[in-house]
Amino acid sequence: MVIELKLQDTKLSHTAAMILQALDAGFVYGFSIMEMTGLPSGTVYPAMRRLERDGLIRSHWEKQSIADAEQRPPRKYYKLTNAGKVTLDASRRRYPLLERLIPTEEAKSV
Amino acid sequence: MMPSVEWAHRLLHFGLLRSASLMVPGAVRAEWWREWRGELWHVRQTCTPTGAASWQGEREVTSFCLGAFQDALCIRRAGGQPKLSLAELIGTPSQCMLILLSMLAACYTVALLLPGVRAERSLWPRKVNPNLVMIENVGTSNDSTPTILPTQFNAWEGRKQKYFDGFAFYRVRQEAVELDLVSVGSLPRSTWGVAHASSNLFTLLGLPVRFADSEVTAGNREQQIILSEKVWKRDFGADPHVAGIQVHLGQRTARIAGVAPDGSLGLPGKVDAWLLGPDAEVRAENPERGYVVAHLTAVGAAEMWTQCVNITANGPDESEEDFLGVSLEEWRPAPMVIYLFALLLALLALPAITTVSLGEYSLNPQKTSWSRKLYRWSFLSAKIALLLPIVYFVSLDLAYGFTTIGRERPVYIQLICTFAMCLFGMRWVLKDQRQRCPVCVRLVTHPAQVGQASRTFLDWNGTEMMCMGGHTLLHVPALPTSWFSTQRWLYLDTSWQFLFAGSTRHIP
Repeated sequence: MVIELKLQDTKLSHTAAMILQALDAGFVYGFSIMEMTGLPSGTVYPAMRRLERDGLIRSHWEKQSIADAEQRPPRKYYKLTNAGKVTLDASRRRYPLLERLIPTEEAKSV
Repeated sequence: MMPSVEWAHRLLHFGLLRSASLMVPGAVRAEWWREWRGELWHVRQTCTPTGAASWQGEREVTSFCLGAFQDALCIRRAGGQPKLSLAELIGTPSQCMLILLSMLAACYTVALLLPGVRAERSLWPRKVNPNLVMIENVGTSNDSTPTILPTQFNAWEGRKQKYFDGFAFYRVRQEAVELDLVSVGSLPRSTWGVAHASSNLFTLLGLPVRFADSEVTAGNREQQIILSEKVWKRDFGADPHVAGIQVHLGQRTARIAGVAPDGSLGLPGKVDAWLLGPDAEVRAENPERGYVVAHLTAVGAAEMWTQCVNITANGPDESEEDFLGVSLEEWRPAPMVIYLFALLLALLALPAITTVSLGEYSLNPQKTSWSRKLYRWSFLSAKIALLLPIVYFVSLDLAYGFTTIGRERPVYIQLICTFAMCLFGMRWVLKDQRQRCPVCVRLVTHPAQVGQASRTFLDWNGTEMMCMGGHTLLHVPALPTSWFSTQRWLYLDTSWQFLFAGSTRHIP
């Protein structure tokens, strides 16, 4: 409970909040987050390292067989953790325009 | 986009990512590399779809790759790694080679991208007949001002000449041009600088006309127009099938005969296209002054002095006038000649700023094999072999990359840049080599101060550095003395190996 409260109080930068929102909206790898948010690679990837270190997101590698079938290299996918979802909710309250920038429902339906 | 340019870009992007990966701690480097390489593939697919020529796309991919450095630094800091030292960055021979190769790829790509360097490269194989001269009035101060009247030209051409065996006349006029829309598409009406030239101009200059189509031009009674490279690219999208397209110049109609070689004319006047016509027609139109190109006979060539020849000629009214024939051959040396000259100067000056010795080597208890010695010398040769083209391309980028600085200044810029970069580059190569373990060719690290200058008597004080492979210690005296004048290598025997547990490598 203490940990959850602490996470809820975590004050993310707008950049990190945008990345979390993009992940929640279904943009699950670095380049798609770059395209969605308009942030450069030098900002997105380091931010994702920090978010992963803080336990707000976690990563996993795509299966090699899927990549082989599509004749491309495998990708590293990122996903929100429970703590990340809690932090994102807090960030949405802090940055009300966040959802309008990257609408979750639309992206998921796409 | 040309395949070579595309491959240069791919090499650049690969080099950038590889260079950034060197900053990532070894434990996570493989995964980091795998992720960025995979992402790069997807970025390239999105920004530069197959078959599409896109400089903008390549720029976006490059910008993506540059972000890898920030990510690598972030990971390094997060892992609590200390600040990068030079020894870590280029410590092993392969890392050093990789960085030099990346630099070479970057410089070469920049040279390919800069329009000034591209334009200069197109001039390099230029061979102008040394007997060709541009005739101008003696009193003229500006080479680009036309000075010869058509009547003067008529008078010269009509007489038997001892010093010249060919003349051509041209004059430049701004003209509104309308293109045949059926052939080219909807191009706007534009204004070109059209040179009305004698039909023998290109023959006299010995220049080939590119993309000429003999079937289109043979038996055609219309005047022929030859496009400049600039107009061909700008208005015709570099279409190789441009020959035969009709062009309307005011009341006149002409057919495109081909494209003039880029920048190879070197003639005065801003010319977008060359309209070739019968000599009488070119001269009879009006009395505007123009330019005259002439070819010297062997007798005339003997009169040349410092690329000029003084001419006294009779005008149409039999009065004597003085003219100057200026050779069309560029005085400017080729960039490679400047580069080699500056390199020679730098090699001569090198002993003045550093010692060319690679240091003393004490007796090695575990005799170093010939293969290791060969490896060390090969590494030194490879560094020099990579440094020299890097210097060449950087000097080209700096000297010719900016087209606004005139035609002569680039020569001096290239000379100075090449000299400075060769001098300090070679100094770095030697210094780097002196600080590499003779056994494993890695840079020595962990400098430690040894002794005190005030207590030096038949002993030494200076810096001691060690090879992380546990092969050698390097002693560099702070104060060269008669008994310890230059750096020395101390080979470590096997009794030292427990100090380097985990990092030692057996090298034959």
